[in-house]
Amino acid sequence: MIWVSSRWKILLMVAPAVVLFTMFVVYPVLYSVWFSFTKFQGFGTPEFIGFGNYAALGQDPFFWQALQNTVVILVVSLVLLIPLSFALALLLRRKIPGGGALRALVFGPAIIAPILAGLIWVFILDPKIGLINRLLAGIGVAPVQWIGGDTLTPYAISLVFIWSSIGFAMTIFYAGLQLLPGDVMEASALDGATGWQQLRFVTIPMMRETFAIVTVLLITNIFKIFELVYMLTGGGPVHRSETLVSYMYFVTFTNQQYGSGMAIAVIVTVLGAIVSAGYLALARRGRTA
Amino acid sequence: MSAAAPVTDEIRPAAETAQLRAPSSRGPWARRARTTSIVAGVAAYLVTFLIILPLLWIVLLSFQPSSKILGDPFSFTSLTIQNYLNALTSLPLVQMYANTFLIAIISVTVGAAVSFMAAFALTRMIFRRKAGQSSLRFYLLAGLAVPVYILLFPVYRLDLTLGIFGTYAALIVPYIAVSIPFNTLLLTGFLRDFPGEIEEAAIIDGVGLWRLCWSVVLPLMRPVIATILIFNVVYVFNEFPFASILINDPNMVTVSLAVSRFQGQYTVDYGGMMASATLVLLPQLVIYALFQRHVIAGMTVGAVKG
Repeated sequence: MIWVSSRWKILLMVAPAVVLFTMFVVYPVLYSVWFSFTKFQGFGTPEFIGFGNYAALGQDPFFWQALQNTVVILVVSLVLLIPLSFALALLLRRKIPGGGALRALVFGPAIIAPILAGLIWVFILDPKIGLINRLLAGIGVAPVQWIGGDTLTPYAISLVFIWSSIGFAMTIFYAGLQLLPGDVMEASALDGATGWQQLRFVTIPMMRETFAIVTVLLITNIFKIFELVYMLTGGGPVHRSETLVSYMYFVTFTNQQYGSGMAIAVIVTVLGAIVSAGYLALARRGRTA
Repeated sequence: MSAAAPVTDEIRPAAETAQLRAPSSRGPWARRARTTSIVAGVAAYLVTFLIILPLLWIVLLSFQPSSKILGDPFSFTSLTIQNYLNALTSLPLVQMYANTFLIAIISVTVGAAVSFMAAFALTRMIFRRKAGQSSLRFYLLAGLAVPVYILLFPVYRLDLTLGIFGTYAALIVPYIAVSIPFNTLLLTGFLRDFPGEIEEAAIIDGVGLWRLCWSVVLPLMRPVIATILIFNVVYVFNEFPFASILINDPNMVTVSLAVSRFQGQYTVDYGGMMASATLVLLPQLVIYALFQRHVIAGMTVGAVKG
């Protein structure tokens, strides 16, 4: 390979990617970090105020509400989604007529744009015209404020997130199940393990890596939930249903408090980076195992 | 694995259990297994139906006059295609798709090309300093940890400074940049696991760098290239945060951007909104149905390959 590896040829090959990446990813990150320490209203020069924006966020009830909503969505989604998608993978692994088509349909919501998913679910969750309240009215239950009320919106957002991700998580579990060594399964069956015992003591322990990877991927996706909030409630009423990123978007682009918005962006990035580092460590371990 | 055995099985010798589990078309075991199978089949269809129910619901609404959506949306006697006729005249469907395709094709192709070049250099070419090579790879991969939300405002300012705001490039260039880390991860991973002998032979035959990449290496990488193309096309098609900030010309809106404005555009014309949503959804679902296997593989490969 040394023949084609002159210095300028190497430069030619790496330069486009490195320049684009540096200009449009690395530089913007540094720019945001710098802005998070300044006060800037869109004109004039940014004024350095140290941790002022971060301190102000600590006093901002909307920020804490957004953080709390993000945590609620995170916990509710993970607690429901991981067992459900795993169970669905076990179910769809059986020989079922049309099983391939079912797996494709279940994955379907994952390819729908989040913005369109949000619009679709307005017509399911809306207190007045939504499908759920229509069906509840049919059995005489009073309408529930799934979205737009004081408390339920984060749970409703979790539901939509679960809907859009269940096929994605199921597919990863399904792939993991296919990789289980058949002889171990057979041996445990010969030893007289019941279906439940086999699941509990053989299948699940052997899929620990897959569970970890699904969990970390879902966590990073949950931190990015924005379009669903944007479409379902717009963050309202009075910011009660914001997530961290939707509140960041509001503070930055609607309120034009750039310093404060970038401080939220930095907080989200740091939280996400901690999780991604964990993911890369796990993935690397998974490959050598 | 699923045929639930009674508890007493646990104390039976293994061989005997195996015999009991031996396939037989008669007897309680077979019947039990068949019942479980039927229950599982019904459950699988039921769950799948629940998952696609929201889509069926908007399709039903799209055929209802808006007055019925407020009154009796379950009625099947009032169905009409009027919503679609209205949507087709009011919605710049062709333009939305043309804009999105243009942006997707350029950004995904260029993103894959520059990532391929970098990945080739980072795994195959010989750097003077080995450490420089691996730290450069790590530098690009570090982008995997950057969420787009921290980039929105700075990229907007950057587009203004560079004078590309208001053009398609305002959106295309950041899409290329954010695709580089993931592309590099997959491409360098593939090249590392792939023997270099064919390339060495080609070089000995006197092939230059350009022909080596274009006619020798690239054809061998077709599967992984297909994966990153699909992954990125799905991303660009569905992307909203960047598009909402970087596009302000109504003639340049992408599909996602157009959908985000339906609620303001149609207000209470719910039938019209649902017909438009269905028109947006349909081409995507058709493409998905055609390339289903590749799309699923492309979107989950990050999880499996790490």
